[in-house]
This record gives sequence, structure tokens and C-alpha cells, in this order.
Amino acid sequence: MAWRVNPDFLREIKQYGDVNIEECFNCGNCTAICSLSNEDYPFPRRNLRYIQLGLQEKVLESLDPWLCYYCGQCTETCPRGAEPAEAMMTLRRWLIGQYDRSGHGAKLYTSTKATIFAILRYSLVPLLLLIIGHTLSSLGVRGFENLRFVTDKVDLNAFAPTLWVWAVVLIDFGILSFRLFSNIAHMFQLVMKPKENKIPLSIYIQELKTFLDYLLTQRRWRDCKEDNNSRWLKHLILISGYGLMLVLIVGLLWWFQTDNIYPIYHPQRWLGYYATIVLLYSSGEALIGRIKKKEELHKHSHHSDWLFPGFLFVGTLTGILVHIFRYTGLPWPTYILYVLHVMVMIAMLDTEVGIGKWTHIFYRPLAAYFQAVKLRAKEYQDTTAAAPAPASPN
Amino acid sequence: MESNFDALIIGAGISGMQTANDLADQGLKVLVVEKEPSIGGAMILLSKVFPTLDCASCITTPKMSAVKNHDNITIMTLSHIKSFKREGMLFKVVIHKEPRYVDEVACTGCGKCEYACPVLRSDPFDFNLGVTKAIHLPFKNAIPLAAVLDMDYCIQCGACTRVCPVPDCINYLDEPEDIQITVRTAIQCTGFDLTPMNAKAEYHAEDLENVISPMQMERLLAPHGPYGGILRPSDGNLADSIAFIQCAGSRDETLGIPYCSRVCCMYAIKQAMLLSGILPLADITIYYMDIRTFGKGHDQFYQNAKAMGINFIKAKVAQINAAENGNIKLRIEEIGQNGGLREVEHDLCVLSLGMVPKNTGNNPLHLAIGEDGFVASINPKTSPTLTSESGVFVAGTASGPKDIVDSIIEGSAAAMQASAYLQNLNISEVVQ
Repeated sequence: MAWRVNPDFLREIKQYGDVNIEECFNCGNCTAICSLSNEDYPFPRRNLRYIQLGLQEKVLESLDPWLCYYCGQCTETCPRGAEPAEAMMTLRRWLIGQYDRSGHGAKLYTSTKATIFAILRYSLVPLLLLIIGHTLSSLGVRGFENLRFVTDKVDLNAFAPTLWVWAVVLIDFGILSFRLFSNIAHMFQLVMKPKENKIPLSIYIQELKTFLDYLLTQRRWRDCKEDNNSRWLKHLILISGYGLMLVLIVGLLWWFQTDNIYPIYHPQRWLGYYATIVLLYSSGEALIGRIKKKEELHKHSHHSDWLFPGFLFVGTLTGILVHIFRYTGLPWPTYILYVLHVMVMIAMLDTEVGIGKWTHIFYRPLAAYFQAVKLRAKEYQDTTAAAPAPASPN
Repeated sequence: MESNFDALIIGAGISGMQTANDLADQGLKVLVVEKEPSIGGAMILLSKVFPTLDCASCITTPKMSAVKNHDNITIMTLSHIKSFKREGMLFKVVIHKEPRYVDEVACTGCGKCEYACPVLRSDPFDFNLGVTKAIHLPFKNAIPLAAVLDMDYCIQCGACTRVCPVPDCINYLDEPEDIQITVRTAIQCTGFDLTPMNAKAEYHAEDLENVISPMQMERLLAPHGPYGGILRPSDGNLADSIAFIQCAGSRDETLGIPYCSRVCCMYAIKQAMLLSGILPLADITIYYMDIRTFGKGHDQFYQNAKAMGINFIKAKVAQINAAENGNIKLRIEEIGQNGGLREVEHDLCVLSLGMVPKNTGNNPLHLAIGEDGFVASINPKTSPTLTSESGVFVAGTASGPKDIVDSIIEGSAAAMQASAYLQNLNISEVVQ
């Protein structure tokens, strides 16, 4: 197959991150130093080569960026300072943008302005809904009489009734999930090319365990030599806190947003506290790392890298304050911080789920899954090809 | 000793010796200062030279003898420049001479003291692959051919003094001295160092005995080398599968050495060729990023090596790890049609280290230093031997990586520039 060199591709990639790919002279050091790279699946050099040549299609179908956990060894030992690890990070952003057919993801990555506007737009939605609801209630419209300002005590469920909030969150979540799954379908098409490669469904089903395994444990990460498992463990704890919080809010909001004060031994209390502490610590640590820029992976933070930990940190902080004000019985501060909290959370969900950092929750295990399927399919083809053809009856 | 010279040559390697001979042949009085106990520099350590495969000592020793026997040349060994000051048209120089503990003039080089001495020490001449005695001749064709005593190892037992045929030749009480001289011009020919073996942590060179430096390989290959054969340092077995790792000390930004050292491709190919002569059944592989053979006859040399069956694999070695039996495992990604990631095993491995500046931080002549750490030339294209100090010239690898031919050419060029400078000095003195 003939390829046409396209120097513009590197220029496009450069919008997604601070890369030095043009410095690479293809010595192969990065691939040979990487603890995750192996004979069947050598990376990251080939993607740097594809970018240099402008082979966009090759990069689109590549899984390599998702298999890298940015330990930074390749960048530390690169004789040219080409920073392959940062190239992988940048490609992850580019791929997230590409998987999203609407082009919205790409826009958020390439323009700080667009990102700020998107955040403002998303965060105004809950504010507007509350204003409309309370206006209708004060006008005496039927069905809105439940919405009330109670100022002599904290009555959050009168200010923002739980079931209504829950409905809004679920609708938003539905839209975002649809977006995420259409992006995943697009990734599947780009990577597996189902029309060209006929892979038996049985292989897909057999390898599903790989997907679940990586989704829950991200075991691959532990093979990174540099890490001593500390980053993997921290990430796993973050996931536990984040997942728990997500379940509490999206699944059990009626249980969680309440004016009842539960006793301290009640799971509502300590599960919430565990998740809060984890989120505050993890997002705080991520932000401090990005400010200090000591580790290899924090040296070139892109504006999109600040969003997720930023949202998480501010969201957790406002959540804690709502909790404190509610328990101390201060109605106005509770309501104001509650609105802020919901604005931040909605903005986070809308910028991160489907297009942002959040998506790697699925893309990474999917990449491991697709890689396993591809390897299995290759083995399968090799064995069927090696089997003697049935004797022709001539 | 006289204290007035026309020219001071600092460093008596191949470019320094060339400069000294060329200036002395013009009737100028030359002082050669060398910090080692013998002149000869790096070249006398080599086995053979590329691309002609001439015996290195066969073409170095005549130059060394010429320096020694020239009426206009004075040699000072174990000496270095302590201070260097311009005074009018002259330079006032203080030379610090370390004690030899042996009368350099009286010593006949018979070697009886070396036989008698009971103390063994590892031999820097063989890059610590072999041993010598505490009192020893620097090497068999050293100039001056006089023993030298290493006081760090001497136990002052007196065994050497009892066998020495020259009375009062060995003097345990020898002291360092500072010598003041006046010169009219100076040429810095201080040569190079190799990148340290442990520069790249992922090569684990300090822990792996069978990972050796290129100079150690030169000594193993030299006819008068330490083992008389190509033996692995760890167990003394004959090497059977030898790897050369190119760019192990240059063209690497992580080492702060982005430049190409210019000689490593050629010396590795040369060593590989010599090895395939000595060990016809051994597998020899050169791992390279690019092969750079730009000198006269160099590319033909490379083609010959390929035709001889030496393997050339395009891959930067990323990691060196220990394998069983003292063997060495390399992790590489081979670039090319049938490339890919793999681990390969060898039983001996040479890191093709690069050339780095010598004595960084020690710059008694106050010359401007370039970004790469080598002496900077003020006119690198048209007069590469001119330095930032008028009347001070530079030649050889002191100003950047060079092979032997280029070093000799630059030695002659520096001599020519220096003598022209002295001519102008004479004219301006007459006019004044």
C-alpha cells in the first residue's frame, strides 16, 4: 500500500500537547527501555514514526497510546530529547478527540477559550433550571409549590427537591452515556475494522475477561518498572472513592441528599466520608504534582489536564462545605454552596464524560481487550492456515 | 635546565609531538610538558589504527624518538602547568613537576627494580586489566625510558635500591618542584578523555565485569597486551560472541553530549575486524544508530567489515543486564524490515564511549571554552588552531573530537601558525 507523507499531521498533533516528535531519529531506545513493550507489541517508537510521516490512519487504528502509563523512562533516556512519553500522552488526547465524531472533544483539547466557554455553558444549566423552578413556584404555577426558600432552618429538599435533582442528573447521565458509547463504537470501528478483519465472535466473548480484569484492576500498570506500584495503588484508591461517590450520587441521591442527620455509624456517613477523603487527597495531590512539575509525567501539563483534578477538588470542597453548613444549620450558605457544588459537578460530568479525561476509564481496558482479541485472532488464523487443506476430490 | 624557550607544548600525544617536531625543525627551542611519566599520549596505547590497520606503536614510537633525540626539544614528564601569565610579549610559566623517585637521566631502564619489587598494583597503562609493580617502567618503549615509583603503593622495603646498578638512582625522598620558565608562544595539545563507563545508568557497566571500555579492548588486542589473547575479564574464558554498542557516550542528550565523537564507528569496526582475525569463529555484532565513515578510505573499510561477516544491527541498545555465566543481555529494537523488539545475549561487550574534554575546570592558560567543553577556536573554519589568547594555539583533540590523521594535521598547522606568530614577534621587536 502506498502512503503519502503529510507534514501537516505533526502540526495538528502539536495543538494537543507539548511534543518534540520531530527530534526523533528512530533509534528504538524508547521501545527497548519500556517495561510494557514486548516482542508481540513493541511501542512507542512506531507511533512517533507514523506522526513524522503523517500516517494519520495508522495512528487512528493504534492502541499503543492506551497501553502506556507514562512512567517516563523513555523520555528520561531518549538520546534526542524527543520525549516519547509526552507524545503518547498527546496522542491519547488526540485519539479521544478523534473517537468523538461530533468534533466537540477535539475543540476542547485544542482551544482553551472553547473549554472555558463549554464549562460556563454547562455550569449555567443547573443554575437556570433552579431559577426557572423558583420563579414558577413564586408565580404559583401548579406543580411547583414544593420549591420553597426555607430560611429559618436548612431545608435543602425544599430548595432543590431530591427527586427533581436526581431526574436532572439521570437525564444528563443518559445523554453523556449515549455520547460515550457512540465514541466507544467509533473506537471499535477505527481499531478493529470489523469490515476488513473477520474475527469470530467467540474470540470477542472469550477475551471479555481481559476487559473486565483491566477495567477493575489495571494490572498492566503494575509492570511499569519505575513505579514500584505506588501510582497504580493510588489510582486504584482514587477509583474506589470516585466510583463510590458516583454510586452515591447517581444511584442513591435520595439517600444521600437528605435533611435527616444520620448517626455516625450509619453507612451513609462513613461511606461518604471515605469517598470525600479519597477524592480530596487524590485531586489535591494531582494538582500539586502539576504545579511542582517534578515527575516526568507532570512536566508538560496541557490545559485539559487541569480540568479533572480541578473540578474534583473544587467539587469535593464545596460538597464538604455544604455538609458542614447543613449540619451547623446555616440556610443561606448551604443553598449558595449547594448551587455552586451542582454547577461544578455538572460541568465536570459534561466536559469529562464522553470526551475528556474520564473516557480513559473505558478506552484503556478496551485497548487491552482489543489487543488481546487481535493477538488471539492472529493465533487462530495461524493455526487454521497451518492446518492441512482438505483434499480436493479431482 | 634552561629557562627560556621559544615554544611551550602542553601534552605530548600525537598532535603535541607533531607540533614539537615541526617547530624544532625550524630551529626554535621547544619545551614539551607531559603529565604522564612517558610521552606518547593515547596513540601509544592503541593496537592498530584505522583504516590502514598499521601497527599503532610502530608509527608512534618513531615520532616519540624524534622528540626525544631532537637537539631543540626538552621533555618534562610528570609535569603540568601551575600558572601561565602574559608579560609584555612573553609568557611567564610555572611548571609543577611531580616526583618520579628515580633519577630520570641516570636510570638505564634495565628493569631490575621492577623484578625485585614485591608490591603489585593494577596497571593504568592496561586500563586495570593487568598489573605492574609499585616501581616499574611506564611501558616497554616508554620515553624517557626510566622507571617510576608509585609512592601510594611503595612499602619502602629497599628491594629496588639493592638491585639498582646505578648508585643513588632511586631516591625515596624525591620532592615535587616548581620550575619557572619564560616562553614566547604556547600550544595546548592536552587531548581528550572518554565518557565515563557509568555515564548511562541503564547500562549497569559498573556491575557487569564483561562490559569493557574501548581502550580496554585496544589493550586486549594489542600485541603486548595484558593477556596475550581476547579473554573475558570475569572468568578468563575466550570470548565467543562480542557486541559493540555504538553511541554509548556521545550523541546522547541525556549525557549532555549531543555531538558525534567522530571516531567510535571507525574504531569499533577496526576492533571488530581485528577480533575476527584473532577469533575466526566468534560472532561479532555492532549495534549502531548510524554508521559514520566519512574519512578517506573509511567507507571502504566499513564495506570490507561487512564482507568479512561482521554483523551490523541498526538499533540503539537501551538496556544492558546480567545474564547467566557472566554473560550480558541487551534489549534492543532493531530498526528495519525484519526489525522488532528483542533481547540478545553476548559474552563480552564493548561500550563505544565518546570523546569528552579533558580536565574540565582546570584551564591554566585561561582559554575560552566552547559549549561542548572543548577549547574554543576563534576562527573554527579558517584557522582552527587559533584560540582566544593571542600567541596561544590549540591542536588535536583538545579542541574537539578528531581521529589521528586530523590530530597530526592540526599539530602541523598549529606549529606553522606558532612559527608565523614568532616571526611577526621578531619583526615587531626589531621595529621597536
